[in-house]
Amino acid sequence: MSLDLKPKKWAGALREVTLGAGSRRPVAVGGGNGLPLHTFEAAFPHRPALALEITDVDPVRWVESVRQPWEGVLGRPAEAARRAVADFGADLLLVHLMGTHTDRGNRSPEQAAADVGAVLEAVNVPLIVKGPGAGQKQNTVLARVAEDCRGEGLALHSATNEDYKTLAAVAVAYGHALVGESPIDVNMAKQLNILLADSNVDLNRVLIDPLTGGLGYGLEYSYSVMERIRLAALGGDAMLNCPIVCLVGEEAWKAKEAKVPADKEPLWGSQRERGIHWEVATAMTLIEAGAEVVVLRHPETLDRIRKQLDSWFGSEPSHDREGVVQNSFRATDEHR
Amino acid sequence: MPLTGLQIFKLLPNTNCKKCGYPTCLTFAMKLAAGKEALEKCPDASPEAKAALGAASAPPIRGVTVGRGDRAITVGEETVFFRHEKTFVRHPGLFQIFDPAGLTAAERDAKLDHWRAIRIERAGETFQVDGIAVVETAESVAAAVAASDRGFPVAILAATLPGATAIAERIKEHRPLLVPPAGANLEGYAALAARLGIPLVVGAPDLASLADAARDAARAGVTDILLEPPGADPRLLHHSLSAIRRGALDRIHPGLGHPVFLCVGAGEIEKAVLGITKFASLVALADCGGETWLPLWTLRQNIYTDPQKPLQMDPGLYAIGEPNDRSPLLVTSNFSLTYFIVSTEAEASGVACHLAVVDAEGLSVLTAWSAGKFSGDRVAKALREMKAAERVSHHTVIIPGYVPVISGELEDALGDGWHVLVGPQEASDIAPFFRDVWGPLARDLGTHP
Ligand code: SF4
Repeated sequence: MSLDLKPKKWAGALREVTLGAGSRRPVAVGGGNGLPLHTFEAAFPHRPALALEITDVDPVRWVESVRQPWEGVLGRPAEAARRAVADFGADLLLVHLMGTHTDRGNRSPEQAAADVGAVLEAVNVPLIVKGPGAGQKQNTVLARVAEDCRGEGLALHSATNEDYKTLAAVAVAYGHALVGESPIDVNMAKQLNILLADSNVDLNRVLIDPLTGGLGYGLEYSYSVMERIRLAALGGDAMLNCPIVCLVGEEAWKAKEAKVPADKEPLWGSQRERGIHWEVATAMTLIEAGAEVVVLRHPETLDRIRKQLDSWFGSEPSHDREGVVQNSFRATDEHR
Repeated sequence: MPLTGLQIFKLLPNTNCKKCGYPTCLTFAMKLAAGKEALEKCPDASPEAKAALGAASAPPIRGVTVGRGDRAITVGEETVFFRHEKTFVRHPGLFQIFDPAGLTAAERDAKLDHWRAIRIERAGETFQVDGIAVVETAESVAAAVAASDRGFPVAILAATLPGATAIAERIKEHRPLLVPPAGANLEGYAALAARLGIPLVVGAPDLASLADAARDAARAGVTDILLEPPGADPRLLHHSLSAIRRGALDRIHPGLGHPVFLCVGAGEIEKAVLGITKFASLVALADCGGETWLPLWTLRQNIYTDPQKPLQMDPGLYAIGEPNDRSPLLVTSNFSLTYFIVSTEAEASGVACHLAVVDAEGLSVLTAWSAGKFSGDRVAKALREMKAAERVSHHTVIIPGYVPVISGELEDALGDGWHVLVGPQEASDIAPFFRDVWGPLARDLGTHP
């Protein structure tokens, strides 16, 4: 008896978003017209992209096991960027300007722009630039970075439902992409995209950050919200069909389980392996739920996730792909 | 296949006698087709109608129980593809693969006792090793007996039919799961499982032959079947797992309506992650370290949480450490996850404190505030109800850094003598906040945290 397995066809597709411009070698994400990883029944012009997180100042609270691979370059963003791309093979980078936070060094917008500029000099991959967290300071910092790095197609992280106008304006003015962040909620994600569209932001230049719950800390909420966003996108909702970015490393390494030493909890096993497994499990689970960009901290996680994805998408390294905007399933204005 | 309203209608008496509570048999048939009524309401339904509807309304994925007694585990009976559609009901059993070759009886028992003793409490659930998957070797009969005697459900990872028969005969009362070797001729194993009345794993190189093999095993008299999906690489495994679940729910082949079994070799945690998220029901793991098991237990806990139920804490004043009337007073929402994170970080800070958990209908602080469930008035009312004023002499309340906007309203509502202090946005900043903000302030207030 043969199996009558009908491929599922959908009305909609994800938008295709290209990160990086100017001196960047661009990376395009999204564009798929099926459920995540369902390559047996849908077309995916791009594989999920893997980013590593680097920081402007020494991230003193990172645990030893995730500091170790970055030894010597923590708090030196240009050198960390070189290592992340040349040695660890990141497709793109997230530059976390944590030092601009008023409580963590209060670095100035000028310093922040200089840090990002140094990273742009050091590597040619696209950058996501993350500010110190919603508020006045974030807007000043990211506005300055956006202006000084005009035309580089950065992704500014992040606009929120309460505070999006400044970043929307500078993204449009200086040719950057924008990450819209909403708190694990389909409706708020949609509302934010509507607000951004109303502010003249091209949604083909927007990523959704639905807020990542790490393994054991709300992962299931992110998982289901992301599945629902993907279903809405495939159903043709042009306000929810932007690719999703997940800040996996930050959340996974925040977990107590990734930080507690083996001698404190003998049943929990090796701390180093446990932490990496925590990040791997979070990343893989969220890719299954529809993450198109995952931001990681440990290079071993990146390597392991890349090997998994090779099974679906083949093994050519993504920065060797020229002309990444070919083969487009881009959702354009006719879907609106 | 589910029956249509018209198909059901043809099975009903068509007397329109109204005893079912509906004006016509057709209306009742439509309700039945929609799953909104039960056939029992029609007293005159024929045995044929009952049989036809019974088969059509059987769960799309059968339940299978492995083991007996307290630790017996039932899996399957799932009804959805996406957890948000309803919920995943029966979380997958995680079995420890155990090769007893070369171990003395004492070494073997020590391992089994160790696994039996593992109990890890996390967010209201106790994690344990759900069963033992014994690799068939010369020592395996004794090992399987020792595992069963300890109450473990046992899976027999067979190498040969005679060897598996010897083990299965000895522990058949414990309902072991019989797992034939890859590529084996299933006939002999199916006959053994049918004769002993134990569950059987069926594998095949592709989905169509898998479904047929399961159907053949059922015809051979095996009542409880698990499917081992084709999965030479992650992509194929993902495809198989998704197709089996979808095929079972759509009832495209009777052989697909069974739970799924997965064997995970050493160092293959990614495969286990794929299995747990994508519908596997029994996962046998070669690795035995906590660094592998803890993430997988936790992932299973996450994925199998009922998404319909907002996770809520009982509102009230919770003690972190042993706080006194000079300890800081924090307020947060009753979303379990928020409580879990805030209390974990507060505890890690080493500063004893009071944590006021306010009824925000299970929403996180920011979401609750947007929905009007975390307003100054509501928080003030909650603090009064928990008699916070009697618990702290400093009358200072620390609110989450995401909602500084409620400060004024809260201060007004609490009345004279109360101060509102805006705390950090992230729970991970609680320790530095206690040190850098609360510490000096408490000294100014003439108290000592
Ligand atoms: S009770 Fe049975 S026979 Fe009578 S109307 Fe209802 S369905 Fe028809």
